[in-house]
Amino acid sequence: MNIICAPSGIMGIVHPAQGIQDMTKAGFENILLDLSSFCPPGDLETLESLEKWREKQKGTGKARLPFLFMPSNERCAAVAALLSRYHAAGLHTPAARAPWLWPDTKRTDQSGLLLSLTQESLLLCGEAGCETLIVKPLFSGLLREEEWAANREFYLSLLPAARENHVTILLENQCRDHDGHLIRGICSDSGEAAAWVDWLNEEAGEERFGFCMNVGTCSLCGQNMQDFARTLGSRIKAVILRDGNGQKEMSALPFTCTSHGQPQTDWLSLIRGLREIGFDGQLILDFVDTAKAFSPLLRPQLLQLAQATAEYFRWQIEMENVLRQHRRIVLFGAGNMCRNYMKCYGEKYPPMFTCDNNERLWGTEFCGLTVRPPESLKELPKDCVIFICNIYYREIEKQLKSMGIQNRIAFFNDEYMPSFYYDRLEGR
Amino acid sequence: MLQIGVQTKNVVEDACPEEGFALLKCAGFSCVDFSLNGYLVNKEIYQSQINTFFDRPIRELETFFAPHKKAAQAAGIAINQMHMPYPNYVPGGSRELNDYLRDVVASKSMELCAFLGCPYIVVHGFKLARFLGSEEREWEQTERFLEFLAPMAREMGITVCIENLYDGIGGHMVEGPCCNAQKSAIRIDRLNEKYHAEILGFCFDTGHANLVGLDFERFLTTLGPRLKVLHIHDNDGVSDLHQIPFTFTKTRDNRPSTDWEGFVQGLRRIRYDGVLSFETAPVLSAFPDAMKQKTLVFLAEIGSYFSREIGR
Repeated sequence: MNIICAPSGIMGIVHPAQGIQDMTKAGFENILLDLSSFCPPGDLETLESLEKWREKQKGTGKARLPFLFMPSNERCAAVAALLSRYHAAGLHTPAARAPWLWPDTKRTDQSGLLLSLTQESLLLCGEAGCETLIVKPLFSGLLREEEWAANREFYLSLLPAARENHVTILLENQCRDHDGHLIRGICSDSGEAAAWVDWLNEEAGEERFGFCMNVGTCSLCGQNMQDFARTLGSRIKAVILRDGNGQKEMSALPFTCTSHGQPQTDWLSLIRGLREIGFDGQLILDFVDTAKAFSPLLRPQLLQLAQATAEYFRWQIEMENVLRQHRRIVLFGAGNMCRNYMKCYGEKYPPMFTCDNNERLWGTEFCGLTVRPPESLKELPKDCVIFICNIYYREIEKQLKSMGIQNRIAFFNDEYMPSFYYDRLEGR
Repeated sequence: MLQIGVQTKNVVEDACPEEGFALLKCAGFSCVDFSLNGYLVNKEIYQSQINTFFDRPIRELETFFAPHKKAAQAAGIAINQMHMPYPNYVPGGSRELNDYLRDVVASKSMELCAFLGCPYIVVHGFKLARFLGSEEREWEQTERFLEFLAPMAREMGITVCIENLYDGIGGHMVEGPCCNAQKSAIRIDRLNEKYHAEILGFCFDTGHANLVGLDFERFLTTLGPRLKVLHIHDNDGVSDLHQIPFTFTKTRDNRPSTDWEGFVQGLRRIRYDGVLSFETAPVLSAFPDAMKQKTLVFLAEIGSYFSREIGR
């Protein structure tokens, strides 16, 4: 799974050096080529024509030509200049995002405008080595019954450039702005979105289209993300990971939108879904609003936290892969986390035994495992991995290391299990 | 014109049901949604504090509701739908509690529904996806409950209606049971085929749908004729407020933030011919008692407006 950081809020296109430095220092290796930052939705909304723009600028002293009105070669040169800075810092650009319009856009002439910008984006992707380009579906001014026909034509017209530049085009789920209330829009119905992708690929004769699951959009629409991911399955090539309050459009760092100590995004449903489909694509972290809210003085630390958060998601999604890697494992802890391990993974990845610091448990059986004292870990074969099943991870890790244990120590976590303890729910 | 209905809660009182039904008739309603859930409220069920209302033998319960039945008939009001007390399963509740909710409360609710001559009873699916790991496994438990009700439903000629629900995650509402119209349609058809009768249907709740951003028109057209009853009410998209339609706006244009056009369009497309029933009891506790009749008249007029729009 590739972790990719979206640059918005961290760096601009004019002075990216500090942002690039913060990002690489935090350990990010990939950055999203966000072409919408050259051509923001606000510009697309308000800039009608070069003539009208010039008219408005008269006497204001603002002379910098908007990206949209630059000649194509100048636009490409501007993007190339930014790319060279990314690449010089060792940041790869495996994914890009094409310019897009606001959900409540008043523009109804979108298809021609977005088509030309997206064609150009595909060309830039080819030069940047991007594997995927996220292209939101057309929606503005379209009647429900016209949506598929208009989008089919739009995406198919992008096919030659996508093929030529070796880029996979990713459709993305959208909200619809119903007089200020964001509800499910185009590609929010996962079944329909899957059908669109399949039809386009069939027409392309190859897998040239895929899907980008925008977590923030799913959350705004209160969607069951597990079902959403399961329905789209392997068509999901990228996931945009962002938090929000479920009411307004925002991109916050995961786990920062909370109410009474609870997250407002249904991370459990997301992680279950991505695990079920064995997601191994691009995990794009977008936290523009959090980044903008923090002082630039704190950005380096924020980016480190963001990087750790993305890694945490990767670890949770790949939990089973981690367990699968080890032929022999033992657990540390004979409590609820051990119980959850045994319930969900005990049969597939059976531990040799578990151990616990509570000496009253030594020699007893817990969920089919013998509970042994920590000392017994000293006799483990070299290839055996110890999974700590207790929230006092670091404390126990320190204890084991101080005992001189050389085996690999790993953490297990039961916050996002495939299921929870139903037997106990029944109050037996 | 479609018939217009409203909950009995906060209007029809046990002490003098005639008064409440007469008030509803006078306000312009021809149907009611009988609030049986008001006799065993959900908060108490979750706290395992079950009152003794349903302990009474069924004949005694029928005697209790006989005046209601008589008063509705006298006023010319049809009891079109009823809400079964919910939840019918409490995760973490004792086996005794959950058996009671199914064997006593649900069974007697069905019998009372039949006694009152009510063709539809609305039930809540079990909220267990988080524990069991998926919506499918959650549905299995709901289906077990529906299978328990099915023979009674067939025998009594009642259609049990599942309703789209929500769940709260840190105060943010997300999909709960029955929020997927395609799945619901398949499941309803399967059970009805199994029992060779229309034992299962759907109750579309506009407020719940609004909370989780459902596309009303798409949802309703997917359900088609499986849609049997409605819970019409409005909210701000944040909390389940059960308020008057067209109340909430979010922009300076002050247009309704709930997709009532999609609602009308969906019902029109499926040629809905059931009752336009409001689930707006909280409105009546919010407005002063002195305005109760006018508030009810206003609700009924909104119902008439919907009816005209759907029929266009």
